[in-house]
Amino acid sequence: MSQTIKLEVVTPERPVFSAEVAEVQFPTASRGYYGILPGHTPLMTEVGDGLLYYILDGQKHWLTVFGGFAEVGPDRVTILARESETVDMIDLERAEASRQRALALLKEAHTEHDLANAQAKLDASLIRLQAAGHPAGHGF
Amino acid sequence: MAGLQDIRRRIRSVKNTQQVTKAMKMISAVKLRKSQERLVALRPYAGKMMEVVQRVVGRIKGDSEIQPGPTAQAFLNPREEKRIRVVLVASDKGLCGGFNANVLKAANAFVSECAAEIVHLDVVGKRAVEWARKRKMTAAGEYLNIPLTGFQHVVTEIAAGAAAQYQAGEIDALYVIYNYFNSPVAQTPTVFRVFPMALDRREDSREVPEVSHLLEPDPNSVLETLLPRFVETELLRNLLESSASEHGARMAAMDKASNNAGEMIAKLTLTMNKIRQASITNQIIEIVSGANA
Repeated sequence: MSQTIKLEVVTPERPVFSAEVAEVQFPTASRGYYGILPGHTPLMTEVGDGLLYYILDGQKHWLTVFGGFAEVGPDRVTILARESETVDMIDLERAEASRQRALALLKEAHTEHDLANAQAKLDASLIRLQAAGHPAGHGF
Repeated sequence: MAGLQDIRRRIRSVKNTQQVTKAMKMISAVKLRKSQERLVALRPYAGKMMEVVQRVVGRIKGDSEIQPGPTAQAFLNPREEKRIRVVLVASDKGLCGGFNANVLKAANAFVSECAAEIVHLDVVGKRAVEWARKRKMTAAGEYLNIPLTGFQHVVTEIAAGAAAQYQAGEIDALYVIYNYFNSPVAQTPTVFRVFPMALDRREDSREVPEVSHLLEPDPNSVLETLLPRFVETELLRNLLESSASEHGARMAAMDKASNNAGEMIAKLTLTMNKIRQASITNQIIEIVSGANA
């Protein structure tokens, strides 16, 4: 049995990541985080918003994922994400600006719909900040 | 000499036209590249999506314990097609060769041949809207002047609507009529059934491994979210194919027009020179015969 998993992350905009890795952990929509090692039983589930990590050459690397589906096989993990970024793709200034905007929106929000929208925006910016190692992201 | 002025004027006018067609060709080339880039970027995603759906559907079909929900039925057991929803994709602007004519011809053939009733028609692009009007068909959804960035919004709307209609039993199938992008100079008008999925088509060409998946949290909720997503992806791909085809067709048409204008200018210049030469010769003859007298 192979000792690695082929991790592939694709979004409608671009293929984000593809490599043989030792371990993967990703957020699901309903069941918290799933950690996948080689030889995992086939599985299909919905992906939530959050941080995915994989271990490559003994090093932990992070990716952001926002929604979509994950398909797991014994030797592969395919993530069909709605949105996803590697740490290099994240624009720190933009994420920080978006966090400030979301905080302002949160204060003004009156209806439940507005509130949920603002909260989602805030979460997304925090996930990005955390992936990029920004101090503001650690509260998340 | 009569005509010399006229010919000069015509040459100038053809030159102007040529400049316009050349500029349009350049613009189309840039737009083609943009559409094509998005299409190429989407293809891996669409391919993976198709694979995943195939695998999951393969597994559900082999398991009698799972009772699929109404949306999942669309994947598994096609109903008899009595009422269908059709999305027709053409362009907003003309001057792109046979692009619109071909796809509308395909639409005509489809409408006259199909036995099912078209209960919901979506038209994308001005030419498609005009086609529907001419045929006295009411289009429930009209999408005009959609920029490349607006495609996602359109497909989300159509996919969500179609999934809901299928569940409510209002439609039995969703078709898209569009131009398939073979290459920048070749497009094929295509009629594509988004769902129920034509599974057999792929099963022959590609081996689908028979693995049994755990569907978490439960099979139905996965399928119910997967179907609209799959429909969205396929629709997005179709729209991008059509957009890339349109710009490719326009580029080819404008290239031809520029070449034709060039030929015309060459011909007119030759005629003009001949006339000018003739008039000079005439004048010389007059002067010489005058001097001799």
